[in-house]
Amino acid sequence: MNTLLLGSTLAQSGFPAPMSEITLAHYLVVSAIMFTLGLIGFLTRRNLIVMFLCTELMFQASGIALIAFSRFHLLYTGQTFVIFVLTVAAAEAAMALALVVLLFRRKESLDAEAWKDMQG
Amino acid sequence: MGRGPQQSVPVFCVGRRLLRPLQREDALLHVIAPAILFTLLVSGGVGVALALPRAGRMPQVVGAATAGLAGGLLILAMTIRAGADAPNVYFYIFSAIALGAALRVITHDRPVYAALYFVLTVISTSGLFLILSAEFMAFAMIIVYAGAILITYLFVIMLATQAPEEEDVEVLADYDTTAREPIAATVAGFLLLAVMTVMMLHGTAGLQKPLPVEPNALLADMPRKVESSLRNHGMMDTGDQIAIDETTGKLMIDGVKGEIVIKMESGLTATLKRDEWPSDLRVKNVEGLGFDLLRNHPGTIEIAGVILLMAMLGAVVLSRKQVEMDEDAKAAQSRQLSERRLSDPGAAAIGRGPGGGE
Repeated sequence: MNTLLLGSTLAQSGFPAPMSEITLAHYLVVSAIMFTLGLIGFLTRRNLIVMFLCTELMFQASGIALIAFSRFHLLYTGQTFVIFVLTVAAAEAAMALALVVLLFRRKESLDAEAWKDMQG
Repeated sequence: MGRGPQQSVPVFCVGRRLLRPLQREDALLHVIAPAILFTLLVSGGVGVALALPRAGRMPQVVGAATAGLAGGLLILAMTIRAGADAPNVYFYIFSAIALGAALRVITHDRPVYAALYFVLTVISTSGLFLILSAEFMAFAMIIVYAGAILITYLFVIMLATQAPEEEDVEVLADYDTTAREPIAATVAGFLLLAVMTVMMLHGTAGLQKPLPVEPNALLADMPRKVESSLRNHGMMDTGDQIAIDETTGKLMIDGVKGEIVIKMESGLTATLKRDEWPSDLRVKNVEGLGFDLLRNHPGTIEIAGVILLMAMLGAVVLSRKQVEMDEDAKAAQSRQLSERRLSDPGAAAIGRGPGGGE
């Protein structure tokens, strides 16, 4: 069985042979599941830090999809976009964590519900 | 009478276009049977909803096991249909670890453990990137995410958590152990997942396979790499040079055809075919990525730099700000302090801090 040929599709360099669209579908499903888990986590968790951790999970999922498409189309642009996703994730983490520390100092609690009286 | 059919034609067309995805069910059947897909999605949703923390009232393990089983069966069902097109076995290992750890990130009631499970997700995602021959991104992911971002998260978790009192067992905060609206959120999330998977499986079935590209085409832009590689392998002597095409003025390196023309010291020329090239003379992932990044997206890099600068400035400005504690929080804290003083007058007389005594 082809699945058991270990390392047969591990790339040595550059881009190897084209990938089938069924293999692409596997990666996309994994990416979709991970995105959904991140979304559910963002909606259900009440700890501000864990909520932002879940957004990072969603960034990861988008990265998997981008790189799978990059491999399928044999183009480097998908990988280039993951660099930009990484940039945005880093910027978001820096800002969000500064904000979380600020909010924590104010209410002495990381509960997102503590801020439900905010308008808008 | 003549206008009737003319008017009905566009309506008919629109109707048929709307119906077409439903008729093309074979595209979905090609990858997975829809009944299996939806059953597994529903059971996965039930599992995730059960696995979310609910102050220990639910057996979270049962939920996590159900969700994991559903996810595993989903991938397995796709593999059985895929046959020879199934992905590498490493794909199954890495995606199982990644998804399992992702489930733990959203269900673990201690933030530190959630962050550590997220590191596991990042590392196994990098494994998936390696299988997809994106070596640079795999290592960049580990360095930037696991090395930098997650350390920042861990620091903030340490800074923004109340230190547990010495005498009592560590009590988890209420907001960590109880999820907010777990059922509604899971239903919404898995509806989205159902839409996404159906769309993706439909879409990928109709994708055209790309033409095989020649990755070594970029070698024409890297004459110094070509030259040093040839010199290291003794294929060029000291006086030899790569020939220059007289009509175009370019070096005669053709990565697509696989020909390098060398002008020897004696004036003769020699053509090196691809099978004579040294084995390290090929475009690596980092080189291809660098060309794509700097040649095709130079403006985007500038914007990324500006985003990072703004984030840094924002973080500095936010953290410099002196924050007054909220009135409610202040009242709550003083109430807590006075309660502690009442329950343990001796400790209060010595000092406020737990370690303030001897």
